Amino acid sequence: MELTLIPGFVQILLFQGLGELVSHFLLPLMPGPVIGLVLLLAWLTVRKSVPATMDTVASALMQHLGLLFVPAAVGVVMYWPQLKADALAIALALLGSVVLTIAVSALVLKLLAKEHSSDA
Amino acid sequence: MTRDVPAIHEIWVYLAGSPLLALILTLGAYQCGVMLYERANRHPLANPVAIAVLLVAATITIIDMPYAKYFEGAQFVHFLLGSATVALAVPIYKGLAVVRGRIVPLTAALLAGGTTSIVSAVVIARLLGADDAIIGGLYAKSVTAPIAMGIAERIHVSPTLTAVFAVTTGVLGAVLARYVLDLVGSRAWWQRGFALGVASHGIGVSRAFSVNPEAGTYASIAMGLHGVLGAVLIPLVVPHLRL
Repeated sequence: MELTLIPGFVQILLFQGLGELVSHFLLPLMPGPVIGLVLLLAWLTVRKSVPATMDTVASALMQHLGLLFVPAAVGVVMYWPQLKADALAIALALLGSVVLTIAVSALVLKLLAKEHSSDA
Repeated sequence: MTRDVPAIHEIWVYLAGSPLLALILTLGAYQCGVMLYERANRHPLANPVAIAVLLVAATITIIDMPYAKYFEGAQFVHFLLGSATVALAVPIYKGLAVVRGRIVPLTAALLAGGTTSIVSAVVIARLLGADDAIIGGLYAKSVTAPIAMGIAERIHVSPTLTAVFAVTTGVLGAVLARYVLDLVGSRAWWQRGFALGVASHGIGVSRAFSVNPEAGTYASIAMGLHGVLGAVLIPLVVPHLRL
């Protein structure tokens, strides 16, 4: 890794840490990373630009976001017996729900975007 | 030959005892997933995360490694989910200028999509007789995994089960989005990306970025907003739904 990537990563970790602290002491209702996200967003808005190294680190994380889900998802093996017993219900619930969610979100956007079609 | 056997065995014990094996397994499986995805011309059915999860799950079952042991090593990868969530602020910030004129349709779509995701999943699962533990895991499944796991703890359901459902939802959305979006006649990249981000968070964002940058930006905005709103609203609303 180039050394130039380090400052961006440190900044992200600092905001993550800050988020955890705020979550622990002030806002236990919100998970730490979400508070970190909001604080970083506020900082970027005040700063009016994204530091170049943070930009590089953030886009690397976004591009391989999928990798980061693997360890948690492998937990499927632990719940296998329970999942197998209710396999049909779970499969249909997840499938039906995701299809409906995509369809409803897309339809709402399509309908409202027409009413607000100031920008094509 | 027989003299080699204890040596190999010792190496094996050493590897299995350090985080190295879990990390090699996780990253190697993901690498395989990405290679197959590229070879399949980024076909949605060849989802790299699904391939990686299946490979790792099969491997740890075959070598008889308990999940807790695997996770002990793989937690270094898992930890970065938190950092990635914070880093979401960057695409959201960049998208904000574009988004401002579209705040009404985007907020409406997010609220409608988020509600649909919970209600439809819980209703279908209940009708088909799933038990309460399973249904509990469905509440936060459309929120990005690290936030979903936080929400799960707050509403007293299993974080692991929630994460499993969240990732499955992510993969299903990434695989099916193209067909569903074509079916409902959604054409604009920003609308397609946003709808995918609402439904299937991080894995949807990965998929959206690999198809079109504008779709990716809107998907990450949807994922971030869904995470923030979900973290606030789901713990407030769900206890009342359960009466």
